Amino acid sequence: MEPVLTEAARADVATANPSSADSPRTSTTAREKEQRLVAWLAARPSVILGFSGGVDSAYLACVALEALGPARFVAVIGRSPSYPDAQWDAARALAAQFGIPVLEVNTHEMLDPRYVANPSNRCYFCKTELWSVLRAVADERGFDTIVDGTNADDTHDWRPGRKAAREHGVASPLAELGFTKDEIRALSRARGLPTWSTPSSPCLSSRLPYGSTVTLERLQQVERAETALRALGVEGDLRVRHHGDLARVEMSADRLDTWLAAPNLQALVRAVRDAGFARVSVDLQGFRSGSLNILGAAGA
Amino acid sequence: MSAPSLAAALAAHGVDARVDARDALAVITVPNAEAAERLRDPELRRAVVALAAQHGFKTVALELASATDDRAALSGH
Repeated sequence: MEPVLTEAARADVATANPSSADSPRTSTTAREKEQRLVAWLAARPSVILGFSGGVDSAYLACVALEALGPARFVAVIGRSPSYPDAQWDAARALAAQFGIPVLEVNTHEMLDPRYVANPSNRCYFCKTELWSVLRAVADERGFDTIVDGTNADDTHDWRPGRKAAREHGVASPLAELGFTKDEIRALSRARGLPTWSTPSSPCLSSRLPYGSTVTLERLQQVERAETALRALGVEGDLRVRHHGDLARVEMSADRLDTWLAAPNLQALVRAVRDAGFARVSVDLQGFRSGSLNILGAAGA
Repeated sequence: MSAPSLAAALAAHGVDARVDARDALAVITVPNAEAAERLRDPELRRAVVALAAQHGFKTVALELASATDDRAALSGH
């Protein structure tokens, strides 16, 4: 099944990986990868997807729906306190817009003391809970294959959650077929998916330093602060890192010039304080994915 | 990691700041809004980040206000 692409979109997709001509592994164009993905999915009797509504799973959901049809595919949203309401709303809106069949389930990683203790492999315990729940849903409803939206770039990062996926037999076709994040964004754009330019947004627990206990209150502080900053107009990458009484706001470095201007600073401080932080700071290096990893375990 | 030595290095670079160390995170506080505005300059920010790294810190954040000071956006020394 061929997706319909505009000419402009074809150009975008073709240039998604400019270095592709030099490597046999990456010489396959993004569109060719997509055709292989459709074939990969269509070869399964039925597929259930862990669906966050982010860039990767949104793209995979659309391709899976196209390959399998609504009777053989379902996207499952796992709801928990570490999943921001704004992302939940966006995921449901996208599903409605594109006709993606969706099922919502609650996950209970907050009841697992190993998760709450927030070790460096916290994601393993979260994903263990998520995939256990999805496995039960798959068994109950007769779905054959469980997939996630992990892409090829993700396999180079520290991702303890992938171990849980392997243990539960979860397949990662985007990674398996070599899709990079840039390619997924380009292909998403070609399909008219609003997620093509959405910043990555890992779970709220990722804003707490390892070793800092994950509590509902702390997750809500982070969520309130980020929501308020978005409402103020902060665009692009944004994280409010939770250092106990101190919030450390990370935003795209090229936006610091705007937000370090006095009137904006005052609004920013008010927004973050109102979310429950006594002290407010802005990271001078700007956003870096996984910046808490380099800080290591920090008391909060 | 040494907060006083980073503060001294920043002062030598023309940035008057108090430095609090939180493990590998340096939290700096400048005296007023004007001093904070100077950090809108990306070159100055890069210099501050580099100095922090030279003093063993892995990241540096500018504290904007303390909860006990409601009179201004920025807390004083």
